[in-house]
Order: sequence, then C-alpha cells, then structure tokens
Amino acid sequence: MSQASPQMRDFAKRLTAHESKGNKSSQSKARVAFQVCEKLRPHIATLMGNAGFQGLLARALALASREAPALRALHVKADGSLAELDELEAQARPVDLAEEGVVLLTQFLGLLAAFIGESLTLRMVLQAHPKLPFNDLDDQRLAK
Amino acid sequence: MKRHNRAVGRKSPKQLMRSKGKITIRKLPSGVRGLDEILGGGIPEFSFNIIAATPGCGKTTLAHQIAFANATAEKPALYFTVLGEPAWKMLRHQQQFAFFDAAKVGKAVRFINLSDLVLEQDLNVVLQEIIKQVSAANPGIVVVDSFRTVVRKAAVGSGELDMQSFILQLAQFLTGWQATTFLVGEYVEEEIRDNTLFTIADGLLWLWQVTERNSVVRKLQIMKLRGQATVPGLHTIRIGDNGLQAFSRTLGLTGSRTKPVEGRRLSLGIPELDRMLGGGIKEGDSLLVAGPSGTGKSALATQFIAEGLRNGESGIMAIFEERPEGYTHRAGTFGLRLQDAQRQGTLETLYLRPLDLSVDETMQEILDAIGRVGAKRLVIDSLVGFEMALAPGFRADFRESLYRMIGALTGAGITILSTVEVEDTFTALPFSHYAISFLTDDIIRMRYVEIDGQLRKVMVVIKMRGGNHSKDIREYVITDKGVVIIHPRQTDYARLSSGLPERIGRREEIAPEPKATQ
Repeated sequence: MSQASPQMRDFAKRLTAHESKGNKSSQSKARVAFQVCEKLRPHIATLMGNAGFQGLLARALALASREAPALRALHVKADGSLAELDELEAQARPVDLAEEGVVLLTQFLGLLAAFIGESLTLRMVLQAHPKLPFNDLDDQRLAK
Repeated sequence: MKRHNRAVGRKSPKQLMRSKGKITIRKLPSGVRGLDEILGGGIPEFSFNIIAATPGCGKTTLAHQIAFANATAEKPALYFTVLGEPAWKMLRHQQQFAFFDAAKVGKAVRFINLSDLVLEQDLNVVLQEIIKQVSAANPGIVVVDSFRTVVRKAAVGSGELDMQSFILQLAQFLTGWQATTFLVGEYVEEEIRDNTLFTIADGLLWLWQVTERNSVVRKLQIMKLRGQATVPGLHTIRIGDNGLQAFSRTLGLTGSRTKPVEGRRLSLGIPELDRMLGGGIKEGDSLLVAGPSGTGKSALATQFIAEGLRNGESGIMAIFEERPEGYTHRAGTFGLRLQDAQRQGTLETLYLRPLDLSVDETMQEILDAIGRVGAKRLVIDSLVGFEMALAPGFRADFRESLYRMIGALTGAGITILSTVEVEDTFTALPFSHYAISFLTDDIIRMRYVEIDGQLRKVMVVIKMRGGNHSKDIREYVITDKGVVIIHPRQTDYARLSSGLPERIGRREEIAPEPKATQ
C-alpha cells in the first residue's frame, strides 16, 4: 500500500527544490531527491539505527518501484545507503531520474510519517535541513 | 528581651552542622502524578537509578515521562535505545500520551540508537560512545533503554569483571557529568541479590503487573532510594491517556491538616437522630450506617449531605450502586434539590462502577473531587458496591485499604458517612460482613422488626467514639421528608434487636403507618 499522499509528494518536491538550490550541475540536480534521502540517513539512523533506516528505505524503494519501475535496479545496503545509483543515473534521462528520486523520497517520508507522525517527521527533516524556510508539511512558502 | 533574642538567634551545634555542612539534594519532578509523593519529594538530582520490571508494566513510558518533564534545550534528555523496542515504534506509541511534546524531540529530548554499537562492538566502545554523546550534549537526564540488553551482550562477549567495571565507570561518569540517570531493564526480583548493578544504583524503581482472575493491576515499589525517605510498600499505578499515574498508599495526604479539635457537631438533618447521637456527628468522624436493603440508608445519606449544603458545607457523594439520577430523584421527593448544589459546584456526585478499580484510584477520584468543591462531607454508598467495583486482586486488601482511606480522609477533617448492607438474621445484630466497625468512629444500625403483623423499621446508635449517645432503639419511617424518627415508643417490647420482639406491656400507641384493613 502506498503511503504517498499528494500532500507528501508536494512536500518531497519542495524539499528537493530547496536542496537543488545549492546544486549547480544538471547531472547532480537529477539525483537531488536521492541526496535528500542520504542527508536524512545519519539523523534517522541516530534514532532508529542503521538497520532501522535500511528497513524503512528498502520498503520505500519497493513501494516507489511500483510507480517508477526503473527504481527496481537499486537496492539498499546494510548501512542504509543506496547501491547501483550511478548505474541508474548513467542509463536514465536526468528528468526521469529526478522524478524517480521524488517518488522514492515521497514514499520514504510517507512511511516515516505513517510510523512516527507528520510532526516528528518534519522535525527529523528539519534536523537534516535546518535552513528549510518552512515548518509545516503544507507550508507553501518554499514553492513561491 | 535582648537576652531572649540572642537565644533565639543562637544555633545549636546540630543546627550549625546542618546549616553549614549539609548538602541539600535537589529533587526533580518525575512528571508522573502521585509519584513524587511516593519518592519522598521527587527524583534526587544526579542519582543513578534503575527502572526494572517485566514486559508491559510501563517502564519505557515512565522513563519518557521523566525525560519530557525535565528536558530543556539547555539541559536536554538523552534517550539511548538499545535493542529493545525499536525507537520509531517507541516514538509511535509514546506520542499517544499527553505528556509527549513533539516540539521537544530532537532538541530537548534526543534519541540515540546504540543497537549497532552494542551488537558489533565491545562494552568499552559503547561506554566511549555514551561519554562522547553526553559530553557533547551536557544532558540533565540520561536514559538507557534497555540496559538489560547491554548486560546480556556483555555476558556473552565479556567477563563479569568487565561488566562491573563498565557499570561503575558509567555511573561515575554520568554522576560526575551531573546527569540524573535511568537504566531501564527487564529484571525479575530474584536477580537483585547477585547483580552488582543493583548495589551501585542509588534508586531502584520496580514495577509489577499482577493478574488475578479476570483483572490486571499494575503496582510500583521504590525498593531503594539513597538519601531520601520514600513511602514504603506497593503502590497502584495505572497507564492512561496521560501516561503513568501513581497512587500513593498515603493517598497524597502526607502533611495534610489534622482532624479538627473543636469537636463541632454536625447535624444529619434529622433532629431526633442528632439528639440520639448526643448532638450530631462529630466533625471529622466516620459514621457507618448499616442495615438491610430498603431500610433507608441512602435516604439518610442524602439528608446528611443536604443538611451540610444548607449549612454551607460542600459535599461529595461517591455512589457505587444506585445511579446518580436515582439519588437526585429521591432527594427531590424529600424536597431536597441536589441539582442546584451540583450546578453551583458545591456538590459532586461520583458514580464509580468500573470493575478493576483499586481503592487508591477510587480515593484519588474522591480526593480530587473533595479538592474541587472544598467538601466537608462525604458519603460512600455503599461499601459493598465499593468492594464490587474493585479488581479482585484488591478485594483481599479491602479492609486495610478502607482503613487507610478513612483514616486519611477523616484526618484531613472530612466527615464521612458510609453505608453498608447487612442481612437481618433475626438472631443477631451484625454491623457488617467485613468486621470493619473498628474503622469507624460511630455506627448506626437500622433493621426490620416484625410488630403486630407489620415489618417496621428501627434504628439504634451502636457506637459513638468519645461521646455519649442514646441507647434507645427508635422506630422510624420514611416519608416525603426522608427518614423521620417517630415519637418515643410507649409500648414496651423485649428482644427488639432480634427483629422478632415480644410485647411485654400494654399497647400504648397505634402503628406509625396505618395497617391494611381490607
């Protein structure tokens, strides 16, 4: 069952947009959403351990793969990082990769929110991205 | 005068020692209602404590409550999780409680997962990680949940001496760092003897979950707390929407005011009965009204409360059998408008019928209500219903609990009227099934007697502690004014108390309520 609500997808998009502001190359911009996940990893692993993060991301990847089958090429390593991302990036168009990254991030945040609630999920995100200009999943300031 | 002042200002050597050399240990709030009283004021600052229990007793919830109650961004709580309940599930569950403040998570309350370290590294690395995190965060509270899993790992990978060294270093470091520590673990009581951890710990909070018949009750005991006088014994705890709540065996009345000494008499609202009692019930007394069903115990209790309200004394009616509407309705038939007092906040009716209450919880409900309305009078109707409302595990302690409850309440100056249903045996005059008469200051016994083909009602004052009272067995009726004691009997009977009296003189009066003629 997908955890991705339109609200969460929008949040993931805005989060990715915020993160991409610091990235200049079109190559890395395509994988910004994946970088957001990676940036969350130490913070969430501090809470739930590497195994906990790994389990959550693996589940998010499985859910996201239904919507974006290309993601099936990826898998999650024991430390919670994504394997085969370089290979996927080499084969995919940047615009597709960027969209697939958002799908994965949406599922990951949706899962986290399903388990610990939106409030705590947002706090986790803010720990990893302390300069985010919004403090609510519905906050539209970033979109402007 | 001057000399006198000097004497007042001079301190004895003992006082000097106390004022100069003695450390005052600050006590931290536990965040658990009722627990600070049991702890003797709170959790000693910088103490090294163990929260021990079998699964499902509320250890983790207790640790969270303490963490959230004390954590600030400047002095955070570090919550180390180790191979126990997964941290995300723990957060998922704990945020259901009212004490959980999501705004504190991350800054004031920080969760750190040590599972990987414990699984992959030795105790020294675990200790170093704790030291690193504590040094960086400067926490006021440190929780390790579950510490038992650290110990289990150590038992496999290290020797006993390594384990002892680890615990000692951890305790010394955390205390030196001015942290108040809680090690949460699943232990059974037998482990206390041979476990160094329990020797090193300053405090040992033990939680139990006791199943008896169909009910489960949770209890807490402070087995040890260095430097502080705790309330001994097992205390009921309950996990509700607000997290844990503890019910001290002292009922939270430690240090409350003592019984009034003026010896004021309170009217029961039945003038003739007041006279039988030597002027009314003494303020702060506990009166037991015993009698079979239908003899008017509840009616008398209602009149007692209503008379208090008339005299400006707020009241509480804790009822366990009859529904509150029934009470209000009956009072209405006596011309007593209880609903007015309820609206004004001078009367509260507590209808307590759940089947797994503890006496202490019931007491807390009553005490809260007393506090809310400033009650001077309390009715407990009835003790039989009260017992039935208790979890089976508490029924065995009913008498003891009742003793504490009545003692605590009357000690606080509340005048109590309790009712108890007893069967009429027609051979004896028992006061109750519980042998609880010693708990009460005064006893009124109501009963049926068969006279001239009618089942009439009589009452007698059996006991009036510290005061004289009428020894007469008086007949009464229940009218639209409530319980009314009728004029003194002129006809003499023998063996009235048996319920089957014999007339030994001439019949001098007619029946108080007309006999059927057709």
